[in-house]
Amino acid sequence: MSAQTIDGAVAGIPRRVSPLRTIARWEYRNSVRARWVLVMAGIFGVLSIVVTLLAFRTVRELGLAGIGPASATLVNLGVLLPSLMGLLLGAGSVVGAREQGVLPMMAAQPVRRSTIVTGMFAGLTASLWTTLAVGFGAALLVMSGVAKGNDVPAIVTLLAATFGVAMASVSIGVALSTASRTRAQAVAGAVGLWIMLALGVDLALAALAPSVHMGPGGLLAAVLVNPLEACRILALLGTDLRGAALGPFGAYLITTFGVAGTIAILIADLFVWTAAPLLVARWLLPRRDL
Amino acid sequence: MPEAMRLEVRNLTKVYEGGWGAHEVSFSVPAGQIMALGGPNGSGKSTVLKCVAGLVRHEGAVLVDGDLVDRAPASRAMMGYLPQVVGMPEHATIAEMIQLFADLRGADPSTIPLPAGFLRDPSTDIGTLSGGQRHRVALAIALLGDPSVLLLDEPVASLDEAGRATFWDVLRHLRDERGVTAIVSSPAPGELRGLADRGVGMEDGRITDDELFEAGLHVAPSPSVDQKSEEESA
Repeated sequence: MSAQTIDGAVAGIPRRVSPLRTIARWEYRNSVRARWVLVMAGIFGVLSIVVTLLAFRTVRELGLAGIGPASATLVNLGVLLPSLMGLLLGAGSVVGAREQGVLPMMAAQPVRRSTIVTGMFAGLTASLWTTLAVGFGAALLVMSGVAKGNDVPAIVTLLAATFGVAMASVSIGVALSTASRTRAQAVAGAVGLWIMLALGVDLALAALAPSVHMGPGGLLAAVLVNPLEACRILALLGTDLRGAALGPFGAYLITTFGVAGTIAILIADLFVWTAAPLLVARWLLPRRDL
Repeated sequence: MPEAMRLEVRNLTKVYEGGWGAHEVSFSVPAGQIMALGGPNGSGKSTVLKCVAGLVRHEGAVLVDGDLVDRAPASRAMMGYLPQVVGMPEHATIAEMIQLFADLRGADPSTIPLPAGFLRDPSTDIGTLSGGQRHRVALAIALLGDPSVLLLDEPVASLDEAGRATFWDVLRHLRDERGVTAIVSSPAPGELRGLADRGVGMEDGRITDDELFEAGLHVAPSPSVDQKSEEESA
């Protein structure tokens, strides 16, 4: 029997690539090829440039200098859009592969299912970070003409916060995907969760605040239970727009823990929001029938 | 001297929300033999194969060479599994799909024991392949890394006549030359007569006939089922 040859594959010597890297690379390539990520990168880049230019015009008309207002506008863009993208990307991952039929084929290989989940998370996070890098890169190019040396901390903080919330959102999305029976169910859950985190929590707290004395513990919890709020406060800490822009929760954190302490708490919060859902997904998938 | 049992299934039971997937299924397949698993659609064939492949939780035991197969990765290193429903990303190429699974198995993709021409040009996008051609890719993946146990869920359902003949030749070669043990499910197990060493029939999640190919007991071949699959995939 003359053997079938696979010209495009690396023939001859079996490659010893870690399964985690293999799956992460596969997910990254799939999401980029699906063009969804590229389209989002384009939209994010255009929006970033538009809000930056609009903010600059306002700044110039007021006779002010600096990139603070532009950063403030970008903060909202950097919190809301990447978190939605991350949730949707994650939500389609595990259950999508199961519906497609690739997941059972992967799970039949000598690979731990927890490794499959982690590989998917890593690949999707990398693809979302690529999207954000393209979008922010475009905005930074526009800003580069007026940005000064003392603007660098604001930009770095904004990037770190946005990349952090993107990673946490992918992780939450992957956990939703692992728990869902269908892709539609996972996507609906992701959109519902995003609306709740972006709007619902703040509205609920605003409604409760007059009648309920939240106390220090309540204020801290209000920030920590919402990764989008943690990201927003973290991003604003790098700008010169702290004050009222931080809101009551951010102001409480700064007053109580100082800037450095607040930054540490918020970074730890985003880390927990990344690690905890991923651990849930790693625990759950081996217990699901495929 | 008794035959060495490569694969043993003991009291395998799987309950779905809608009823029995498999109910106290027990059988064994000696090393280097092919067992046909016959039965109508929904009889539990796929469930049994998924249980053996470790894809669904179940009661009962699966043993290979006397060792309990659990859900640890090492248990699956010796198995090649072909699912009944094959799905793949449309934008990946054949070579990329095979390379992915070769990397996961630590296998050499150039040693797949399939005849030249069985697969289309490896640079072809999966999205341009017919159902039967995609099934061929999945077959190639199942054969990666020289598995000693093959679990094939309706492996020729989407293949044309030439593809079927080629695949049966490959399976015969693997058994005779490499001592591969295989379970092959089919709604028309009659087509495995002459190739399979043994046949088992299932219905409603139970084994109803453990001597399928004995005179008068075998399930009659029903080529119309497979012809329908081929038409659908085309």
